[in-house]
Amino acid sequence: MNRADNVIDIAGLTKTYASGELQVQALRGLTFSIKRGEYVSIMGPSGSGKSTLMNVLGCLDRATTGTYKLDGIDVSQLDDNQLAEIRLKKLGFVFQGFNLLARTDALRNVTLPLFYAGMPAKERERRALERLTEVGIGERARHKPTELSGGEQQRVAIARALVNDPAVLLADEPTGNLDSKTSSEILALFDRLSATGRTIIVVTHDEGVAKRSRRILRMLDGVIMSDAPAGAPA
Amino acid sequence: MLAYFIEAAQVLMANRTRSILTLIGLVAGVATIVSVQVAANGMAGAVSGIFKGTNASTFIVFPKITQGNAARAAFRVSDLALVQETIPGVVSVIPYSRSQTIVDVGHHRIRLRFGGESDKRFSTAPLVAGRTINADDVAGASSVCVISDNAFSRLFPEAPSASDIIGRSVYVGSKRYVIVGVLGKTKIDTAALGLDISTDVAIPYTTFYKNYQRGGTFPFLSVLAATSADLKSVEAQTVKLLASTHGSQYQAFDFGFIASIIGSFFNIVGLIVGAVGAISLLVAGIGIMNIMLVSVTERTREIGIRKAIGARRSQVLLQFFIESLLLSAFGCITGMLIGVGLGAIVDRGFIARISGVTGSIPWLEAIVIAVGFATIVTLVFGTYPAYRAAKLDPIQALRYE
Repeated sequence: MNRADNVIDIAGLTKTYASGELQVQALRGLTFSIKRGEYVSIMGPSGSGKSTLMNVLGCLDRATTGTYKLDGIDVSQLDDNQLAEIRLKKLGFVFQGFNLLARTDALRNVTLPLFYAGMPAKERERRALERLTEVGIGERARHKPTELSGGEQQRVAIARALVNDPAVLLADEPTGNLDSKTSSEILALFDRLSATGRTIIVVTHDEGVAKRSRRILRMLDGVIMSDAPAGAPA
Repeated sequence: MLAYFIEAAQVLMANRTRSILTLIGLVAGVATIVSVQVAANGMAGAVSGIFKGTNASTFIVFPKITQGNAARAAFRVSDLALVQETIPGVVSVIPYSRSQTIVDVGHHRIRLRFGGESDKRFSTAPLVAGRTINADDVAGASSVCVISDNAFSRLFPEAPSASDIIGRSVYVGSKRYVIVGVLGKTKIDTAALGLDISTDVAIPYTTFYKNYQRGGTFPFLSVLAATSADLKSVEAQTVKLLASTHGSQYQAFDFGFIASIIGSFFNIVGLIVGAVGAISLLVAGIGIMNIMLVSVTERTREIGIRKAIGARRSQVLLQFFIESLLLSAFGCITGMLIGVGLGAIVDRGFIARISGVTGSIPWLEAIVIAVGFATIVTLVFGTYPAYRAAKLDPIQALRYE
């Protein structure tokens, strides 16, 4: 396998939380790679370490030991500001609770990463509107999140996650707060993004969601139990 | 950088009620301090204006209190001519003699300022009827008087005009004085302010001296100089001349000096009120800090989102810092404008109406106060909430409900 094709390279990754006297090993040595353009699901029950993995993958948290290369950059030893820079340029987040700024309209929510990247206002708005149109809610750009349905809010969140053209789109239970009809719309959008070559990682405990991806990593007690193409028997 | 200001302004506008509530304390504090500054400035201007209106080129000379031999230091009639003829720039010298006395005319008995201010030029009030006390009156120590507008209106409330009372008499104790002249209002209504220093019933100083100041000496000299410009030098020369003549020590006292004392009194009042206002600003500043801290807590999730998206610590710090700055700048500038407005209303509507002198608005002080407090409030009270916001852990912040 050509390593340059790997957008994520993880080797011997552990994460230990010190909780008083107790040491909690949330991740117990993970090694895997994700290729550019892959659509991967991470599954596992509560406490399996999938949220911790998500935080580490998202550069919100650092691993205790092991290496993590994201888009060719070793991010294991970066400081907070450098991690912020990586999140800004290489990652896009989609959350279960949408996590939009409540009093700010859709367009300005989407411009936010560009604002932190220091892009001029005109260019920010042009790019943001482009993304909103791409996810199918360009005409709702001037609405505040409270005026949008759950599905629409999640589309705004996806537009925001994509606006900086990240190397990886990370989605944490993206359909967890949505009804089944809206969920399938969002999943269809993910399919479409995947088809255009986006690297997508979805953390979920919903088999239906995981089945839409091409590859499923199943976690239990901080280790990967199975790594198989979707559709293979669990 | 501009983008941060726009961003902060949008956040503050989105939370309009909270922003306005935060500002009230700050606006009130700055408005208080600035309005007192403006009013005190107007008051000080009015006071110095009043004394200018009286006659800025007069001064009083008297023996120093430490002077041992009072009899030797006391002035004699010969000193009047000596000073007037020796010192260049001296126009007139009269004994300064004045007392609060019951003056009566018929059934009106009123307490008035009575004295031997026989030279009309010491006052700035115009003559409205009759004549002034002349050289013959002084030479003959005649029993005549010129009364002020204040004395006229209070002693003769029924008289239709000032000219009607020329030739009538007023009594001071058993002595009778014939009114030969009536003075009008001075340009500035000093009586209304309780700051009147003019003589109500003026008689020839020779008469005053004959009737009330037996012994041939008097304790004060009143000197009128040609201009107020080099009053200090005329004062110094007069004091020196009298000292060498009498072998005693003297000091001079002019109204400009009194005005400067009163002016500094108002400055002190301004300072004290300013200090009280500063305490209210401290409270307002703590209010801002409190609101900003609440805002940080309330917006924990928002901060988490911003950090997850890729905002650096310094960018979050800057955002909250600029929000504080905008809040305090807006509050202080609004407070300053309200303060200048209130101060100007007090000055124009009240102080100026009485004194006739409109104080200038101390814009520089007002701006310095507003900008100074905005800076201090931001730095002291805005930094901590911004720091708290910046160091939030994004994972924790995102989990915050």
